[in-house]
Amino acid sequence: MATTPRQATPDSSPRTWRRARLIETGRVARRSARRRSLALATLAILVLAVVLVPLLVRLDQQLVDLRAAGLPPSLAHPFGTDEVGRDVLLRSIYGLRVSLLVGLVAAVVSATIGGLVGLAAGAAGGPLDRLLMRVVDGVNSMPHLLLGIFIVALFAPSAIAVIVSVGVTHWTTAARIVRSEVLSLRGRPFIDAAVSGGSSRLRIVRRHFLPNLAPHLLLATVLMVPHAIWHETALSFLGLGLPAHLASLGNMINDGQRSLLAGDWWSSLFPGLLILTPTLAIHALAQHLRDRANPRRRSELAL
Amino acid sequence: MLEATAITVSYGRHQVLDGVSLTVAPGETLGLAGPSGCGKSTLARVLALLQRPSGGTLTVDGQPISRWRHRARQRTSIGLIFQQPRLAVDPRFTLLDVIAEPLRAARRPLDRAHELAEEMGLTGELFTRRPHEVSDGQLQRACVARALALEPRYLVCDEMTTMLDASTQAHLVTRIEAYRERTGAGVLAVSHDAELLDRWAGGNVRTWRHRPDVVVNGSGGRPEGTSRDVSDRRIATRPNAEG
Amino acid sequence: MKLHVEGLSVRFRLPGAVVQAVTDARFTLDQGRCLALVGESGCGKSVMAHALLGLLPANAAVTGHAWLDDLDLITAPEQVLARQVRGRRIGLIPQSPAAHLTPVRTARAQLAETLRELGRPDTPDALARRAGLRPADLDRYPHQLSGGMAQRVANALALAGDPPLLLADEPTTGLDRPLVDATMAELRRLCDEGRSVLLITHDLRAAEQVADDIAVMYASRIVELASARAFFDGPRHPYAQGLLDALPTRAFTPIPGQPPELTRLPDGCAFQPRCPRATALCEEQPVLNEVACHHA
Repeated sequence: MATTPRQATPDSSPRTWRRARLIETGRVARRSARRRSLALATLAILVLAVVLVPLLVRLDQQLVDLRAAGLPPSLAHPFGTDEVGRDVLLRSIYGLRVSLLVGLVAAVVSATIGGLVGLAAGAAGGPLDRLLMRVVDGVNSMPHLLLGIFIVALFAPSAIAVIVSVGVTHWTTAARIVRSEVLSLRGRPFIDAAVSGGSSRLRIVRRHFLPNLAPHLLLATVLMVPHAIWHETALSFLGLGLPAHLASLGNMINDGQRSLLAGDWWSSLFPGLLILTPTLAIHALAQHLRDRANPRRRSELAL
Repeated sequence: MLEATAITVSYGRHQVLDGVSLTVAPGETLGLAGPSGCGKSTLARVLALLQRPSGGTLTVDGQPISRWRHRARQRTSIGLIFQQPRLAVDPRFTLLDVIAEPLRAARRPLDRAHELAEEMGLTGELFTRRPHEVSDGQLQRACVARALALEPRYLVCDEMTTMLDASTQAHLVTRIEAYRERTGAGVLAVSHDAELLDRWAGGNVRTWRHRPDVVVNGSGGRPEGTSRDVSDRRIATRPNAEG
Repeated sequence: MKLHVEGLSVRFRLPGAVVQAVTDARFTLDQGRCLALVGESGCGKSVMAHALLGLLPANAAVTGHAWLDDLDLITAPEQVLARQVRGRRIGLIPQSPAAHLTPVRTARAQLAETLRELGRPDTPDALARRAGLRPADLDRYPHQLSGGMAQRVANALALAGDPPLLLADEPTTGLDRPLVDATMAELRRLCDEGRSVLLITHDLRAAEQVADDIAVMYASRIVELASARAFFDGPRHPYAQGLLDALPTRAFTPIPGQPPELTRLPDGCAFQPRCPRATALCEEQPVLNEVACHHA
């Protein structure tokens, strides 16, 4: 119903289409709200788990129990145990804790670097803009994982090394987003009006640029979190991330792949699902944020 | 005196303004009439010190201007009112923020913003509204209040009332004229509407003529400087005013 | 062709408020006439146009009737509107012709597509001639057209389905005077061909050039309905008088105050707080009988 006017009356298409889209937006908004609730609930459960469980049950990272090795999922061990008898559920939660923390910090680091670079490039323009954008191209031209491995290799395996490696390789997306937003803002009449009203450069950045950029930057950060989690996992899986005895999702999948041959599917499947779940939830949340950040939808009804 | 002499503006090969001269005296209302897309908005930006012209000189009260935009100290002595209020305010600001922003930037008392808003006929419940919650007319009232906040000695009104109904148009013009009479400011009213300018400026109107073969672009909303506006535009006669 | 609007009301439900965009609108538009619906921005006149085309968003509640001959546009299902009404029985002349055309295709391609979609046997050339364009102009891209030509291409698109009723929603916004005059002359010509035109505008001078009848809208209601001549010679509603007096060619004095919010309309006459003639009588909603005022 919403698409028929467009086909039937091309003569009035832009306006028709706009209205038809509005009807569509109502439906999309409701679906988006449902998806947001589901995503928020999932994330809340996962965050509560990684905050509360370590307070209640301590995990001895070194402890092995060979008598309980390779047990399938049961009431005592809902996710089963691994090849040296460690509880997969408990280790998964500890691993997720590390992953979420590393992902979040790495995302904030990369968004901060990217935001500053993009702001500088967009606001200054000219030679500085060209220089910074070539640096962005340079960083982009290298495979992120490879560059990340190189950076991690310079340090001893640790969470900090992983954060640095993800942060330093992933700021370019944020930089591009922020720069293009700054460029589009710069040409808007309200910036002219602010200049004419006596605002200094710094004031315009503070009053107009930053508030208008914030939603885009927030979105870039949120979208970076799952990406950073995957990188952390990948580095750990390759044995370059966290020390091998520490519970991290990457380490666990790496350990689990050996037991896979013996038919012990649980020790790699459950950690894998715990990577997938927050990733999907965060993506759904980001999509909702993007819908909301579009001010046209809100103003379309203004009469 | 706001005095522009032989102002030229080009973007690359395209010449938008070709040696325009114009003088606005304090206390005077000068109308500048011309079809849309003839470069009037570009001239308005130059006069408001927002754009460095490619050639020509501009003096404000005898002082020649050599710095533009942020570096131009005199920029607050020339108020600019835009054609489309919706584009001329930050969508995140409330109406009161819009009016108070120049006062904040100049560290002046903010009470003035309330007075200005009330003078422009904006009522209290509108102060906290954002641009998408008010009509074009109400938004333009806030823009006029903003332009008057720092008591500029000259006002440039660029197609200020094209989007508005007759009553709001008459109201805004009345307020600007009252400001001019109170402060002795000079007003340049730019519009394509000759009847409006005739009434507003009391016959003190310069007309910007085109060569008849020149294609006039009809949609006024487009910003100046898109290559096609410019390419087929030549200005045959130049407005020059003695004051 | 006859458009008969009967008690049309449109409400929008917003979080925490109801916008009364159109209240109890009644008018008739006969064949070959031009009715200009005038009023300031935000009085609800554009919403009326969208209601007639069935293009309101999902949160709009529409009541009343709008009879296009024997079809009620308000209750007609979307399929009927899409396949039989829009473009075929009602043509829309857009607000900004330049923005209405697709920049990457020539005028001819856009006309041809529209004709094909509507299943019309006409050629783009014939259609262009009807809208006052030379066929040679059709090979241009929209950015190569002057404002007047873009307007004619937009008109040609609206005329593609040969609709008896044309709806022009603020067709003069942002145009300069000569172009406004040309657009209005074009609308007049279409009327004289026997089409009906509903012109929605805030520009009284444009309306004066073309309209047979004037409907003045204020705060969601039609407050005066008169023939154009009678209206411009002496409007009866105080608001209409104020609007005309605000013209730069007349007294150039504004109406004091501001229109009420459509979310908080007063019970009585909505113009009462700004009206020089207001009395206690105005607490009661006046009925529209050519003019909706207790004192006119």
